[in-house]
Amino acid sequence: MTIIVAILQAVLLVTLAPLFSGITRKIRAKMHSRKGTSIMQDYYDLAKLWRRCEVKEGGSGIISRLTPPIFLGSFILVAAGLPLVMQACPVPFLGDIITVLYLMALPRFMFALGSIDSAGSYTAIGGVRELLVGVLVEPSLILVLFVAAIAAGSTNLGIMANAVGTLQAYPFVAIVVAGVACAMACYIEMGKLPFDLAEAEQEIQEGPLAAYSGPSLAMIKLGVSVKQLVVASLFVAIFLPFGAATTAAPLDLLVGLVSFLFKLLIVMLIASVIENSVMRARYKYLGRYTWFVVGIASLSLVFLVIGI
Amino acid sequence: MELILLSLGLSCVTGVFSLVTSKAHAASKTIACIGGMAAAVLSFSGGIGALFQTATYASWVGPMPFTNFTLLLNPLAGLLIAVIAALAFAAWLYGLSYFDEYYDKGIGIIGFFMNLFIASMNLVILADNAFWFLVFFELMSLTSYVLVIIDQTEKSLKGGFLYLIMAHIGFLMIALSFFTMASATGSLEFESFRTCAFAPGIATIAFVLAFFGFGAKAGMVPFHSWLPQAHPAAPSNVSALMSGGMIKIGIFGILKVCFDLLGVAGGEISWGVLVIVIGAVSSVLGVVYALGEHDLKSLLAYHSVENIGIILLGVGVGIYGWAADLPWLAAVGLLAGLYHLVNHAMFKGLLFLGAGSVLHATGTRNMEVLGGLARLMPVTAVCFLIGSLAISAIPPLNGFVSEWFTYQGLIGAAMDGDLVMRIVFAFAVVALAITGALAVTCFVKAFGVTFLARPRSDAAEKAHEVPAPMLIAMVMLTVTCVLLGIGAAFVAPSISSIAASILVAPAVPVAEGTTLISLDTVSVVSPLIMAVLMAVVIAICVLVRNAANRKAGIKSDPQTWACGYEFDLTMETLASTVGANVKNFMGPLYAIRYGVNRAGEAVSRLLGRTLNPEKRSTESAQHDPEGTLSRFDRDRVHGIAPAEKRAPALSNSVFSVVNDLGSWFGRMESGDFRTYIVYIVGALIFFLALIILVR
Repeated sequence: MTIIVAILQAVLLVTLAPLFSGITRKIRAKMHSRKGTSIMQDYYDLAKLWRRCEVKEGGSGIISRLTPPIFLGSFILVAAGLPLVMQACPVPFLGDIITVLYLMALPRFMFALGSIDSAGSYTAIGGVRELLVGVLVEPSLILVLFVAAIAAGSTNLGIMANAVGTLQAYPFVAIVVAGVACAMACYIEMGKLPFDLAEAEQEIQEGPLAAYSGPSLAMIKLGVSVKQLVVASLFVAIFLPFGAATTAAPLDLLVGLVSFLFKLLIVMLIASVIENSVMRARYKYLGRYTWFVVGIASLSLVFLVIGI
Repeated sequence: MELILLSLGLSCVTGVFSLVTSKAHAASKTIACIGGMAAAVLSFSGGIGALFQTATYASWVGPMPFTNFTLLLNPLAGLLIAVIAALAFAAWLYGLSYFDEYYDKGIGIIGFFMNLFIASMNLVILADNAFWFLVFFELMSLTSYVLVIIDQTEKSLKGGFLYLIMAHIGFLMIALSFFTMASATGSLEFESFRTCAFAPGIATIAFVLAFFGFGAKAGMVPFHSWLPQAHPAAPSNVSALMSGGMIKIGIFGILKVCFDLLGVAGGEISWGVLVIVIGAVSSVLGVVYALGEHDLKSLLAYHSVENIGIILLGVGVGIYGWAADLPWLAAVGLLAGLYHLVNHAMFKGLLFLGAGSVLHATGTRNMEVLGGLARLMPVTAVCFLIGSLAISAIPPLNGFVSEWFTYQGLIGAAMDGDLVMRIVFAFAVVALAITGALAVTCFVKAFGVTFLARPRSDAAEKAHEVPAPMLIAMVMLTVTCVLLGIGAAFVAPSISSIAASILVAPAVPVAEGTTLISLDTVSVVSPLIMAVLMAVVIAICVLVRNAANRKAGIKSDPQTWACGYEFDLTMETLASTVGANVKNFMGPLYAIRYGVNRAGEAVSRLLGRTLNPEKRSTESAQHDPEGTLSRFDRDRVHGIAPAEKRAPALSNSVFSVVNDLGSWFGRMESGDFRTYIVYIVGALIFFLALIILVR
């Protein structure tokens, strides 16, 4: 039964990813007082790329060929393991926080390698910067998860979700502060303004895509959208597990599914509103923002240690 | 035990034969390599056999009362011997082809000292008497010193000299530690230490001295400076043996002193904290400095500092759990430390052999002038990639498994810990996370800049795949890395039982079927099933994409798209590109190093020689107005390596302390080898006198 839930989650996130990014684009257009494209636009883009001839560029070799499937595949696997619909991991051995974090390191590794592979300087700089964003976010993310794990008494995401969902995680204030820090860290990881503009060719997140084309580009573009949803879902799963099913009864699961989609939509809406209300920061100053997040994460540790 | 003794004898005989036949280069090489491989097979089977048996002793009466030649083979020793034997086998196999380049540098000498080096490592592990332990420890340092300076270049001589100094500082501290214990028991037999309940003060002094002494051998911060200079200077397969095997002796020593020799006295929680803090600092600084390197082998050597830090984190949790009487923590901490020890030996050995193949094929270790090797050396590239993924702890490979246990240990410890301990463990967890993220960056750089994109020099363009023995050695270690990852559920219980034998406690359950379990943190992971799932999901993605490709066609365009500019090779990403980006965010951490470097220069001025070759090349680079610099030198000027900027506040205080320390050492060492030898002899006489007085 839980296996079905896992597959369902993964399929759902992959099929909905373009929709969510379409909605984000629509919101941006509205906030810019533009009419904007249809919210289905990303599906049209992907379908079009899918039918295009692929061009292998310059020096690129097998790594560039392997990156899109590995990128998408890893995030599908992460999506299958998160406690999204239920307050327990559908596949227990994919539900450890360390496993999730290191599984998400694989696509980052391949993404950056792929960017170097094509020999272009823009792509490679983007890839290296993407890695360094990871370096800057990782400390706050792990600190937050550390606090949550200790408060819940386990490193298993399902147990953490259950402890937070039933309000049994102690100390309470620490969890709330950790949730705030986690939201910020996940926001940076999603690659949105002021840290990154996920849709421009010479930016951190899409820059490395310059060398891809055709179905490979479609696949990795889909992967980037799925990544945003997975990162947002990670936050939702741990700190907003309310409404998720506590039993495996079909009705509970249905309620869990609906509430998960609702929560995810709200989170993505807030993220896109924030994204469009700020200006872009220079990459150089990224460190200052991340220090702020580290500060809040440390605050949650302090609250945990003194037990309030 | 017999198998290992046989192997030791074989090593010695092979070494001598190799020296005798050194005139006939090929014969000498073949004798050394085949003999070494046979010895490695023997000691490997001996070591593996010892894992599942109780400890066995062998003893011979020595000429003097304190020199009884006692050997002890217990599961921990068996593990270390097996790991070193596996590495040694790969190194000898690799040497069959690799040593062809060393014919004119004294192949007989290499064969002799390398055999002796491996034998002395095994003897250090086996020795159960402080006197013989120190003798073999010194033998290990000296034989490896000869292997470091075998190239006889200025750089290797300097690296070797620094290594010799640091090895002796470590030796001194270990000797002091043993003599502290001996003064309480009146005997140099480890058996007497083992049964003696030392006073807590004595035990702490002995432990701290031993920790820093063995730590200097292991290359932990702040005693790491020699490692990136000495290890890369040796022939690549010896580097693999040193970075993969020898520095593990340091970890072995720490474990032996803490759990075995001081076992009856019991540990203190503060020991665990010390080990964890040093481990955390080592892991972060090691990888940060690795990011600044252009030289493939130096980069790998700095990663040894990092990985020793990670091993120490596990060991620290073990010591903490043991001292605080938390059996699960003690067991999982040691399991994590030992598992990472085995893993690091395998993937670091593999990566050094890979770097050696690059060196063999192109004649350079400078990443800036390589590039595009993946197409020319596919097998090496695949092996190096898997090694890179393993060392970056990417699931389901072996590095992931041991780091997973390390995290579980740290988080589990924080759950039980009090206020202060929670902060310490949080610090350690964050350090490990930063290390993980930086290691990914560093190996993207190492693999990407060396093997991907296009060749940036003639040497890289003309590279060729290396001969079969070198490939087989690399493939062997690659397969081991993969198996230690996906087969973790079958390996972990054995390592857990070794941890149990160290702790003299029942083994805790760590695996069930194909799943690894962490009891206190209520979590599970299954590398095997993950590997299958990843393979299936990724394969589906590949198939779907390729189907679309077949429909729409695929063509190739030789020109790289450079956003409208005309592409040229200077546009490619270099190691210094990555370094400069990292420096942007990690500047203060490098500043510390420059402070320490300057202290190093102060020492070397007093020593009358420069230990820092970087400085001179920078100076020469600046006196070059014509711009005729090589690309490498230009990168050194503009990139990350040289520091002309004044170090900011944080490092100044560190600098002044280190500087004072440096000038103190400077006064002790007048800069003449002869004085230095007098100093060692003096120290030996002093300690012999001490022993006689104590007795």
